[in-house]
Amino acid sequence: MSGSKRIFMLGIIVSIIFVIVGCMWLSYSAETLDEVAEHFGASESFVWTPPLPDYEIPGLEGNLAANIIVGMAFTLLTLAVALAIGKTLKAKT
Amino acid sequence: MHIPDGFLDLSICAVTYLATLIFWVFAFRRARQVLSERQIPLMGTLTAMFFAAQMMNYPIIGGTTAHLLGGPILAITLGPYAGLISMTIILLIQAFFFGDGGITTFGANVWNMGIIGVFIPYIICLLTIKMVKDKNGMLIGAFIGAFTGDLLAAVFAGLELGLSTLTFPYSISIAVTAMAIHHSFIGIGEGIVTVLIISVLLKTRPDLLQLPKVAPKWMGELPIVSTKPGGP
Repeated sequence: MSGSKRIFMLGIIVSIIFVIVGCMWLSYSAETLDEVAEHFGASESFVWTPPLPDYEIPGLEGNLAANIIVGMAFTLLTLAVALAIGKTLKAKT
Repeated sequence: MHIPDGFLDLSICAVTYLATLIFWVFAFRRARQVLSERQIPLMGTLTAMFFAAQMMNYPIIGGTTAHLLGGPILAITLGPYAGLISMTIILLIQAFFFGDGGITTFGANVWNMGIIGVFIPYIICLLTIKMVKDKNGMLIGAFIGAFTGDLLAAVFAGLELGLSTLTFPYSISIAVTAMAIHHSFIGIGEGIVTVLIISVLLKTRPDLLQLPKVAPKWMGELPIVSTKPGGP
């Protein structure tokens, strides 16, 4: 396997591990900015309704398997978008 | 550090969108010149990896949590231009699909995490390499750069909140201080992880460390790490 392919495969495996660990053990999020803003009375107001708020499928909140599938699917989507944009940039060289 | 909709005044949103747009144009133009064919799979892999890494929240002080941003690693491996593009992709998917960060505040979030969080570590790492001309220069620069990048990104987020007097009725000093205290701890975490990853790459794949290769001409000559696995 070439060096690039090995890094590519390693990256995918590490990303999948991150998603699983993130969903199973490190999912609780209380970001500093949200805490600070809430403390000072600022409130969130959506101008766009996200299809998967807080990385969960509506109706399946707290479902570990669903959360892992969402995490993996969107990690792969991120990979595809980054590769496509990277190729576009290269094509114009 | 993802600022949601409603936290910033529209004027602050407009200014940060404009500033970010200038960097986007610049980054796309420069990335076309410096991004090599073999970096494209790496760009895809790292973008996906840091999207996944941002799903892992670890506890810090005061009952709050933090996650890795990844800007310093993106800057050192891909260069700051492709690094900014990678971070933009991550933030766009997070905002659009998950509501993690707002749409009106997207420019501010890219400014904080994609520009400050990528370009500051890059510049600091370059300057450190210039001063400490061996592999320790890159490691020291990676730590200081990652820490400073995280801290400054938080300071900018605090400034944006503090300047949003219509939505956030507190002074800049309160907002900046609150953000900076917490993010100095997050910055240490980012610095440690960045050094760990860079030291592994220095030993195994030094050819992936692009930083000296994409340095601007005004930096002068920089020591380029060996392309031969096994170290410089």
